[in-house]
Amino acid sequence: MRKFAGSYFGRLTFFILFGFVLFLASNRVDELRVYQGASVAMYVVAIASLILLTGYSGQVSLGHGALMAIGGYAAALSRNHWGAPFWLCFVVAIVATALAGSVLGTAAARLSGPYLAGSTLALAVGLPSIANQFHILGGEQGLLFDIGAPPAALGADFTEYKWLFWISAVAALIAMWWLQNILRSRFGRTWRAVRSNEVAAQLAGIHVGKSKTLAFTVSSGLAGLAGAMLAMTISTVSPSAFPLTLSFAVLTGAVLSGVTTLSGVMIGALILVATPDIADAISSRFASSENVTTNLPGLLVSALLILVVMLVPNGPVEQMRTLRNRKRAKALR
Amino acid sequence: MIGINRRRLLVASAVLATGGLVVSTVPAQAFSPHSEVGVTNSAIKLGVTIPLTGAASPGYNKVPSAMKAYFDYVNANGGVNGRKITLVVKDDQYVPTLAVTQTNDLILKDKVFALLAPLGTANVKAVATRVNPGRRGVPVLFVNTGYSGFAVKKTYPTTFTMLPSYIVEAKIMAQYITETYPGKKIGLLYQDDDFGQDALAGFKQAGLSLAVKVPYASGSQGVAGVPATWIQKLSAASPDVVILFGVSSATAAALGTAAVMKYAPKWILGSVGGDATTIKASGVPAGVLYGATGASFLPATTDTTDEYIKLFQSINAKYNNNAVFDNNVLVGMNTAFVTVQAIAAAGQNLTRKGLIAAIEKNGAKFASAGLAPLNYSTTSHVGYNGYWFGTYSPTGDLKPNGGVYTVYTTDSGSGAIVKSTYKRPAMPADGLPTQP
Amino acid sequence: MYQLINTVLIGITSGAIYSLMAIALVLVWRSARVVNFAQAGQALLSTYIGYEFIQKFHSFWVALFLSMLVGAAVGAIIDSSFMRILFRRAGHGPIANVAPIIATLGLLGLIRALLGLVVGGKDVRINPPVSNVGYTVAGHTMAFSPLQLVIVISVLLLMLVLSLIFQRTNVGLALRASAYSPEIARLAGVRVDGMRTLGWALAGAAGAAAGLLQTPNGTGVLSPDSLEFSLLLVFGFIAAVIGGLESLVGAVVGGMVLGLVLAFVLTYVSGSVVFITAFGLLIAVLLVKPTGLVGKRGGRRA
Repeated sequence: MRKFAGSYFGRLTFFILFGFVLFLASNRVDELRVYQGASVAMYVVAIASLILLTGYSGQVSLGHGALMAIGGYAAALSRNHWGAPFWLCFVVAIVATALAGSVLGTAAARLSGPYLAGSTLALAVGLPSIANQFHILGGEQGLLFDIGAPPAALGADFTEYKWLFWISAVAALIAMWWLQNILRSRFGRTWRAVRSNEVAAQLAGIHVGKSKTLAFTVSSGLAGLAGAMLAMTISTVSPSAFPLTLSFAVLTGAVLSGVTTLSGVMIGALILVATPDIADAISSRFASSENVTTNLPGLLVSALLILVVMLVPNGPVEQMRTLRNRKRAKALR
Repeated sequence: MIGINRRRLLVASAVLATGGLVVSTVPAQAFSPHSEVGVTNSAIKLGVTIPLTGAASPGYNKVPSAMKAYFDYVNANGGVNGRKITLVVKDDQYVPTLAVTQTNDLILKDKVFALLAPLGTANVKAVATRVNPGRRGVPVLFVNTGYSGFAVKKTYPTTFTMLPSYIVEAKIMAQYITETYPGKKIGLLYQDDDFGQDALAGFKQAGLSLAVKVPYASGSQGVAGVPATWIQKLSAASPDVVILFGVSSATAAALGTAAVMKYAPKWILGSVGGDATTIKASGVPAGVLYGATGASFLPATTDTTDEYIKLFQSINAKYNNNAVFDNNVLVGMNTAFVTVQAIAAAGQNLTRKGLIAAIEKNGAKFASAGLAPLNYSTTSHVGYNGYWFGTYSPTGDLKPNGGVYTVYTTDSGSGAIVKSTYKRPAMPADGLPTQP
Repeated sequence: MYQLINTVLIGITSGAIYSLMAIALVLVWRSARVVNFAQAGQALLSTYIGYEFIQKFHSFWVALFLSMLVGAAVGAIIDSSFMRILFRRAGHGPIANVAPIIATLGLLGLIRALLGLVVGGKDVRINPPVSNVGYTVAGHTMAFSPLQLVIVISVLLLMLVLSLIFQRTNVGLALRASAYSPEIARLAGVRVDGMRTLGWALAGAAGAAAGLLQTPNGTGVLSPDSLEFSLLLVFGFIAAVIGGLESLVGAVVGGMVLGLVLAFVLTYVSGSVVFITAFGLLIAVLLVKPTGLVGKRGGRRA
């Protein structure tokens, strides 16, 4: 059993089973939750992309929103100009963003922490405004990215949101499965070696710069996929859809999930999607003023962020693992 | 290593399962007793998404409470056909992603009857395609953007616009400038996106030649030093008349910087950024506004001889904590007023279809504070289509030139610009809807 | 001719404002190895408090001095009550790269939301202490006012005084040592935690000065949602990175370069390329010198 769970087929089975559970769930809940499910899937990919970069390769990005914008625009352009089917749009988004990421990553590999943070922050601020400079990008109102109605074969009561959710969930599952595999491959080991000690890794014959650039490229590809998914869930791309707050939200999600492990990635995504609802519930229960209502979501997220980073800096999953290991060690003693 | 993997999987599945449970145990909302969503025999629920926080919120964040104030006034006087109106307000921070999720909430969770006055072209477009109120049959009343495309009935079957489009405004403004300042050199400051492009198209359409055009990136008005570069570029070209066709924070930044650089051409302000209260609240002294030209389609906010303004001011005092009565409050109240007219016209058996039909059938005759006509019909979802021009007084309030509202109207295409003969319907008694 | 001079003046004054923020960011980075995103929130908070002081004492300068003290106190409190715990719990492993960034971002959000709760909806105005109308030269009004002169002088003063403290005093040596190598500094008898807190306090004071000076120079209006403060943070950070985070002179050089390049591009190329120019400049500088214009070789040590 142990062997099976850790093996390639074990992971494959797990992801397929999980997909089946999601499919069952999507038939039981109302439209709103199904839509939120699609947003969760989008955040899962975006957060995983950042965790890969930060947790596994030790680089910081404050500009994931900009990378997502590249993916979103690539998907929309390929849909509008070539009439590509939606899955091909996703592939184009991944490839285009990965290419952009490899260029950025080459520059990024030369930069240490705060310099990289500054550059990616400037990217997040600067990139979306390009859309207003080129007519083909549709300006402030942006471009449509409409994947159309679900296939008729799925039945008449198969809603558009369920279709969105299916596509997003399958895309997220494939992305996560692929990511799990690549992290267990040679590349994953290289990244971890570089992360824990650059000098030692270099002595062991690893080309540190190349390894970092590759991590940035892979992370960008995933961010591009998340961007295309985001574009799909709002069926448009526009500069205002990729604000600085999106980059910060993804970073927040990554920390809430724990940056050292991918297994908690759902936690961050769920919190990001659920916070507005929770804030809503609180402020409506206490019938408070408009001032409280508007500031509550920001307050909740910030407070949670600070608490997590202070109390469980490596995320809840890692914390549980440490606790269990400690208990086990005690038992052995 | 394998053990860790297995535990990872276990933890992951536990988390996933919890997530799934959370998602699946939430019960579906109960259906409303009336046959139409969001309507009962005693209540109507409407929803609005608008920026309440964030950089785009100043000014606009006053609109929802103004709408609420008018609805409260109507509710206190018996409601519409016996139904009281509630308004659910959601903050979209001017981000399309939030606009879509908040609108989803409004339609699927709050189950509102209709959406009211959403703001921002990118937001409304994203909502129209993704949430698709058109297919769901949910009315989207009186969109708060000057993008002319939303009036196209074929693409947005349930959407009605309200503000005159940017192209309409630019065309009328061009004619006004050509007539008032013949042979003068004209300069323009505009936002370098669709908003500005529409304005440029309108000026071109009306044959206005611009000696100097200064574009600015949306949001860059907040960067230290940037407004100073606009003013020195404008002053270097020394135009006699300068049009400020931007959002209010940019208009305010331009006016404030011009004042400290002692640059004072004849200013003409576009209506989007022309609300005196918002400009003054952004730090511009009233004296700087004095003598500038502005445009509006509603009566001047200080015109207490106007029956609508008088009514709205008294409602503002009683139901809106006596907020500063500016153009945002006026637009909010007027939007709510027209909404109530529409709901009353749709009759006792209120349905979404019926509401849309009522606006198409009677919308052009609705009472409203607007001095330009509403153009609703079975073939047109266009709201107001005209402007009057005025001058800012020493206290910084916009007053019509010569004390009379001279309104010009036109369309978003190549139509002519004509002096309007529209006569506004008299306000119903106490500003309450006439009950059938 | 006047346009050229004015462009230079606009570049210098806006550069001075980015520099003020950049100095604050560099101070925290140099003494604590933290990129402090909460700086914008701290500056906003100090400026609100400064406004209250102006109401009370009717003197801008007294208020400036007091709000710098308050800013310093806020910085010290954040470090001693919050960042210290954070470093203890998240000071190693991959989280150490992002934990300070995340924590300060969280603080920024928290300060903003709390300010929104307390003062939300009420905008306050700060009037300029000296004239903000440009000087007149031969009948031309220049893009340079007494207020902007005050700002430029304050920046240079801050840079000089702080550089002297860092380079010529024992405290400065201890500050540098504890940032460069905390363990060795501790062995040498330096109170490393105290030095960190001092760095935060100095930065808090500089940030307060930036907020209270720039507000009347800009629109004069303050709100918790202030776009100006967010952009001040972003452009101050870009300036600090361009200059190289290690030096105060670098912060001022970075600010000036950013200010001048933006002024020239906006005037002579296009008014709508502000953000992309800032990004392009940053990347161009970092590609040539990965540790910024005034950065030292081998800056990748923290």
